Amino acid sequence: MAIFNLKKLLLKKDITKLIEGLTVSMGVDVCIKDSAGTMLYGTGGDYLSGLPITVDGKTVGWIYGENVSKIAAMASLLNYIVGAEVQKKALAAETLNKYSELTMLYDFVEKVNAFNVKEIAEFLIKHVSEQIRADNVSVMLTDEITGMLKLVAESGGESGNGGAQMSAFGIAGVVMHSGKAEIINDCRSDPRCAMETGSVSSLICSPIKAKEKALGIVMASTIEPFNYTADDLNFFCTLVSQAAFAMDNARLYESLKEAFIKTVYTLAETIEKRDPYTGGHTKRVKEYSVAISANLGISAGDKERLELAAVLHDIGKIGVSDNVLRKTAKLTDEEFEEIKTHTTCGRDILSYIEELKGIIPGVKSHHERFDGRGYPDKLKGLEIDLIARIIAVADTFDAMTSDRPYRKGLPFGTALQELRKCSGTQFDPTVVEAFFKAVDNNKINPENQEKIIRGDNNDACNSDSR
Amino acid sequence: MPAILIADDEQHIRMLIEQTLESLEDEGVDILTAQNGEEALETIKEKRPELVFLDVMMPKMNGFDVCNTVKNTLGMKEVYIIMLTAKGQEFDKEKGAESGCDLYITKPFSPKELKSKAREILGL
Repeated sequence: MAIFNLKKLLLKKDITKLIEGLTVSMGVDVCIKDSAGTMLYGTGGDYLSGLPITVDGKTVGWIYGENVSKIAAMASLLNYIVGAEVQKKALAAETLNKYSELTMLYDFVEKVNAFNVKEIAEFLIKHVSEQIRADNVSVMLTDEITGMLKLVAESGGESGNGGAQMSAFGIAGVVMHSGKAEIINDCRSDPRCAMETGSVSSLICSPIKAKEKALGIVMASTIEPFNYTADDLNFFCTLVSQAAFAMDNARLYESLKEAFIKTVYTLAETIEKRDPYTGGHTKRVKEYSVAISANLGISAGDKERLELAAVLHDIGKIGVSDNVLRKTAKLTDEEFEEIKTHTTCGRDILSYIEELKGIIPGVKSHHERFDGRGYPDKLKGLEIDLIARIIAVADTFDAMTSDRPYRKGLPFGTALQELRKCSGTQFDPTVVEAFFKAVDNNKINPENQEKIIRGDNNDACNSDSR
Repeated sequence: MPAILIADDEQHIRMLIEQTLESLEDEGVDILTAQNGEEALETIKEKRPELVFLDVMMPKMNGFDVCNTVKNTLGMKEVYIIMLTAKGQEFDKEKGAESGCDLYITKPFSPKELKSKAREILGL
């Protein structure tokens, strides 16, 4: 605590009034000086009698008067006021400390749920570091495969050089096993810390527990000895338990999402199996689409939608009859009309799944053309969903370069020329540009496929992609 | 001597802000308090603090009215006024702008941010 400021107290209006009133009614004249001898109150005659004003046995000032007996009562009163003031200050400081913790907790709880596990760990470290004295704060989680504690995030770095792995056998392991948080202020004399690196003197360690299961541990430590208190532990554990819930939720959400995506891929795979000639088409369309989007600066949410839409773009083909879908000869007008229904059919299927509604425009419109001559809605230019405009390029490019039973695929370079030729008519020029950038960056390349030029084709973009 | 006024009818909020800014006193900053709008206005007129933390919901005169009087009626534009508003009680941004307040902070406030803001405004 800071040294008590007697001057500040004496500047308070009610205190000044009180002293003034007392000196008048008691008929004494006094002056008050601080411990350094600076005059704080009164004009100060040459009084010889003085009494100290003390806080916890330390003199913070003096009161002087004609004789001791006359100022004794006033000295006791001042001592009492100073004592009360000191207590008030201490309470205020403690209240402020709790208030800081509370606002931080508010902030933490409010934001922590929007993150993934690693981000939660980092967020936790940031908040712990702000409130608790520590040179290093580390979060370790049980690796689902090896079952070992693995460092996920840490601050400070100093003591984390390999210490993370070591401590999996030391105190971290103990806490993980017991499920109980610990304070160890003198690591060097605690046998459980034998494995801790030499740079740790004091530490707080808590398990990350969600639904009675320990997911891992969090440890805050200092290089120099430090005295962690029960209050520190309390706050530490409160934050950790909030983070534990959030991590558990994030894990559940992540596994749910993974299951969902796997289902989507299975669905796509089912379609592909019906049309064996297009093997791997879906996967390549997705890869090309992602490569294109990297040069278009789209949001993370749009990227997720794009991936799903690319994987499911031909889902509607489930409604196209086998004899049309697998036909190798040129399609009649009627058959082509049937093929076209795969766009609207895709929309119908996806409309039943709430989580996939967002990708409907991408799926339904992937055969629209930039010049408005596509299907099913003859949308034009920017009326076409960006995701559909990207898939259109990726889909057509793969169709052109893939072998079909009735023709060989175009060589990579020729297909690129075709894309360029159709830019602005069939395709959005911005998307085509992004595709070429991806080629330049080697994100899209011819791999090792051998291609044979198909001599008689002069409108490859249209004839290949159904 | 630069001064800061804390105007809030809730004693514990005054105490918390006072405690938050305590170390500024050692740098020569005068910390003043007021318990209601009228007292706040009187103190601002008399002591001309550089910075005022002004609670919105106060008896006798609310924060918006105090701010409006200071900034618009009295033309004391140089006084930096930060409104304090309770969480959940949506701050009326339109009224805030009309009254000419410089910033608003939601309670519970972060002591750390409040202090660094105060330092920034006083140029410390």
